[in-house]
Amino acid sequence: MSGSDIRDVTLVEAVNMAIAWEMEHDENVVVLGEDIATNGGVFRATVGLKDRFGFKRVMDTPLAENLIAGTAIGMATQGLRPVAEFQFMGFIYSAMEQIVSHASRMRNRTRGRLSCPLVYRAPFGGGIHAPEHHSESTEALFAHIPGLRVVIPSSPQRAYGLLLAAIRNPDPVVFLEPKRIYRAVTQSVENNGEALPLDTCFTLREGSDVTLISWGASIMETLEAADALAEQGMSAEVIDLGTISPLDRETLLCSVTKTGRAVIVHEACRNGGVGAEVAASIAEGAYLELKAPVIRVTGYDTVMPYYRNEQAYLPQTDDIVEAAKRVIAL
Amino acid sequence: MKYFKLPDLGEGLPEAEIVEWHVQVGDTVDVDQVLVSVETAKAIVEVPSPEAGTVAKRFGEPGDIIHTGEPLMAYEGEGDDSGTVVGELKRADAQTRKDSFIVGAAESSKRARANRASYRTRSLPDAEPLRGTRRTMAKNMAASHAQVVPVSIFEDVDIGDWHAGTDITMRLVQGMASACETSPVMNSWFDGETLSRRLKDEVHIGIAVDTPEGLFVPVLRDVNHRTMEDLRTGLQNLHDAVATRKIPPAEMQGATITLSNFGTMTGQYASPIVSPPQVAIIGAGSIREKVVVHKGKPAVRRVLPLSVTFDHRAATGGEASRFLGALIEALGKP
Repeated sequence: MSGSDIRDVTLVEAVNMAIAWEMEHDENVVVLGEDIATNGGVFRATVGLKDRFGFKRVMDTPLAENLIAGTAIGMATQGLRPVAEFQFMGFIYSAMEQIVSHASRMRNRTRGRLSCPLVYRAPFGGGIHAPEHHSESTEALFAHIPGLRVVIPSSPQRAYGLLLAAIRNPDPVVFLEPKRIYRAVTQSVENNGEALPLDTCFTLREGSDVTLISWGASIMETLEAADALAEQGMSAEVIDLGTISPLDRETLLCSVTKTGRAVIVHEACRNGGVGAEVAASIAEGAYLELKAPVIRVTGYDTVMPYYRNEQAYLPQTDDIVEAAKRVIAL
Repeated sequence: MKYFKLPDLGEGLPEAEIVEWHVQVGDTVDVDQVLVSVETAKAIVEVPSPEAGTVAKRFGEPGDIIHTGEPLMAYEGEGDDSGTVVGELKRADAQTRKDSFIVGAAESSKRARANRASYRTRSLPDAEPLRGTRRTMAKNMAASHAQVVPVSIFEDVDIGDWHAGTDITMRLVQGMASACETSPVMNSWFDGETLSRRLKDEVHIGIAVDTPEGLFVPVLRDVNHRTMEDLRTGLQNLHDAVATRKIPPAEMQGATITLSNFGTMTGQYASPIVSPPQVAIIGAGSIREKVVVHKGKPAVRRVLPLSVTFDHRAATGGEASRFLGALIEALGKP
């Protein structure tokens, strides 16, 4: 590959870089969404793309999420590789009909005659002092739908590699971007078009006493918790799910077999969350290796509050440290 | 530390077992100096150093299995996998650094899972894991058993007219090459997933070789276009390479049909296992003297028992039977 270069980028810049790379190298890749072309997107994820690739491949749509989702399906079944943006995950529900009833089952319905290689991007999660509908973490809704892949990056490098993989994937991917850490860290990322594998977890920290499992923005607090535990003489392994559906159970089971303990951290509310699936998988696959119950540190079973209370809602580093100490002490 | 990850040793083999380290921690190594011998499913491979440096760490001891892409060794100094990153990463900002993480589970976690007590108690007590060729054989045989629809046909061939000192293996491979012309489908590759096949022009015969470490199947190539002398030398070279375990993986790929000649040991007939994508395998048993009808009279003749197993998804019984007939005709000549 020519033109590879190393750039210091934030997570949102890595998203932009991945889309641009793939548009450059695959003329079938198009992007669409509200204000994504001329304006560059609400979080600037698509900034500059219209100037580089033109309005025929970078399309502003009406304020109609169901239309965005459905148009992308039509494009995908006819050979394009659309990357559609929803401005916020809280706006995606009017598009559920298209996503759940059509995109996810196109391959199955047509017995493999049509596939639906598209990416639905949406910023998700709270912590940016946003109004209602702008802080949702409802990834579990999509993880429950057969035929959808749900991918969540938690660093610039993984955003770049996983988004490339998502665009190249032959089936629909819901790609949820943790907007709280869109600009939290800068990393050196080589713009070389190299994808990371989907359907696998990533081990961010190796440890032996407890496995901390998380995804999205909560990875930040989880890593901080691992640091805090290390200072107190406890060794935590940190696993980023990366793809929350389908789940890479093998990596989780390997880790928990080693540590005997698991703490699951997610920002979404607890009831019926992806953490429950992770916990059940660990119980089914590593019951005899567990030294303590699998426990969860999560948001509350309530609507994500307005910004004054959002830190009270979001799992904090200390909560994770306390939970880990509890299972280690058992 | 700069990590050197186990590179793909060819043919996408997913793992290798460390046989012997040739360097110690602290040693200074040059480019291309041999670091370690590893045993893949196919052969022992010597892994050279991709760069000059000082050995900081070795991952794994003899007997450990390393997967492709996992750290094998580390050099002193900063940097990433010398095999994959070009140049040193420059950082303008002290806070900016390259992300580092493991795709999937950490090695320590995988080991823990593989060695877990509950797993051991539920499997054979005091079992030793299969390694190398024996492990490959177990996997390949199970894969074949799961896919192939095997049918076997047995017949004797009267070789009483052979001259003294006839090379049995050479006659067999030449006979197979000529029988493949009668039934070309027996010399083809078949894909059960897509239900498609490729008839092969050349006849590349896999020769099953029994060793204490397990089954090896080196490939004798282009049998139909080579002289017997040339083939004999080729076969001897393959046998020598197997015996010293220095056979390159490429020499065991690409067979279009296989010969299992167990006649030097014991047994007349067998139903050997077809190795996909191949369609057929020929078994040759022990030659013995038998009372047979020869020119209308009972006679004691030397007889070679043959078995043909074929994948009935790819070939018909008639095609296999005609193949066997042609093979017998070729072998029956003096």
